[in-house]
Amino acid sequence: MFTRAVGFDHISWRRYLHRPNSLLPVVSVAAQNLPQLYRFCFLMTGEASKAQDIFQDTLREAAFLAANGEPPADRCWFFREARWRCLDVVAHGVQPEHGASELTEVSPQASEQIEHDVVARGVQPEHGASELTEVSPQAPEQIEQLEPEQLAIWISAAPEPQRSALALYYLDEFNYREMMSMLGLKLNELSRAIASGRREFQAWLNATVPAAAPE
Amino acid sequence: MKRLSRGLRTLADCAPIANAKAPDRRMRTAVSRAKRIEGFGAQQSFDRAVAKLVQATPVSPEIQEWFANEKMAEGAKRNWRKTALHPAILAIGIALAVIAVVAWIKFDEQMHAFPGTATAKKLLNVAAMTRPSELEPMQTEAGTLNDLFFMKYRLEHYDVPPEFSQQRTIGVRVFDDDEAGQVAQISLAEKRMQLFLFPARRDSKTGQPEEFEGWRYIEQEGWTGAVKARKGILFMAAVRGTKKDLAPYLAVCELQPARC
Repeated sequence: MFTRAVGFDHISWRRYLHRPNSLLPVVSVAAQNLPQLYRFCFLMTGEASKAQDIFQDTLREAAFLAANGEPPADRCWFFREARWRCLDVVAHGVQPEHGASELTEVSPQASEQIEHDVVARGVQPEHGASELTEVSPQAPEQIEQLEPEQLAIWISAAPEPQRSALALYYLDEFNYREMMSMLGLKLNELSRAIASGRREFQAWLNATVPAAAPE
Repeated sequence: MKRLSRGLRTLADCAPIANAKAPDRRMRTAVSRAKRIEGFGAQQSFDRAVAKLVQATPVSPEIQEWFANEKMAEGAKRNWRKTALHPAILAIGIALAVIAVVAWIKFDEQMHAFPGTATAKKLLNVAAMTRPSELEPMQTEAGTLNDLFFMKYRLEHYDVPPEFSQQRTIGVRVFDDDEAGQVAQISLAEKRMQLFLFPARRDSKTGQPEEFEGWRYIEQEGWTGAVKARKGILFMAAVRGTKKDLAPYLAVCELQPARC
């Protein structure tokens, strides 16, 4: 719908973006921010295909704005824009444009684990139980056994604004002030979302990936 | 982290994951104190492990194509011209300019204000609205009217200054004004000029008339007045026009001292 609205087709806007001396240099995202933007979309949606489409839609929007002489002001714009698109897609189950995009390959073990998680609805533990779960010293070993897709599914199943807060925080890209600004949260709200997310994830880890017994 | 204050604990929960420098002093303080507390180390290890897992997210080749184009991501900042032409900046600039102009006008008014400015401006309005038929016909020299004012109206020191004393009058009247008190109005034949004599404002503490030195100009709605204070009476010569129209009359004493 967007491509039709702005008069770009899938080929032409990509050519436009890759054209030497194109207008896109105005896009003020450092090169290393683009993978981060994709990872953010992945954490928010829990699906590689949706993440890829939202990532591309966001960059296309940036290219369109740049072509109209109103380039995005800063890198936060990309994440803010992508966040709204992710929330829209997740909330309405909307299939983003370019549905033909390829899926990121996931290992068979991870796929089975993910399916198990989704079917069993074990992605987000009960709130009451998780409040008491403190972060365990064995957590790094537990987390090492996970696939990124599992983490993405877990975060994408979290309620808003915890989902966005966790996705932004674990990108390790923004400081807390930038996160507050992007999410429109106060410090205590952001802190609560992250802290409770940490405990809930630990509770889920304990249930999913039991820690090895101390020797 | 039980020993941390609530504020610091809130900040420590959002502490930077990598060893990047904290964005502000409060965060640095929170992290530094939290490091002494049991449990913060586990939190940091936890966060690092999760962040590492996030960084391990596989990226499809199609997405990686985007990263190859570094030109795309170099970034260009808005130049000053574009920033200046932004509607919000433009609106603020215009508003500030208007405020500055109004402030300058007010300041300029205050600089040129003198005791009795308000009354003089009011009498400029009177001058603009007075018809010749409202005045008592009187053809004489303006300088001789002080006797008339004293004899007929008991108005003392209502003297026309030497600069205008030889002008021919065509009419005169005396009226009471709420603010100005008893006002003598003289209409001249030349340039349909009008002269006003009225009591100077009195100081509320001392009761003495507030006077000033020399001629002061006021302008209002196309009329210009030159005002002078003498012996507790203000004299104003009003003419439809600008200061230039009045200047030759006021320069008489300089050019012909014998007349004054």
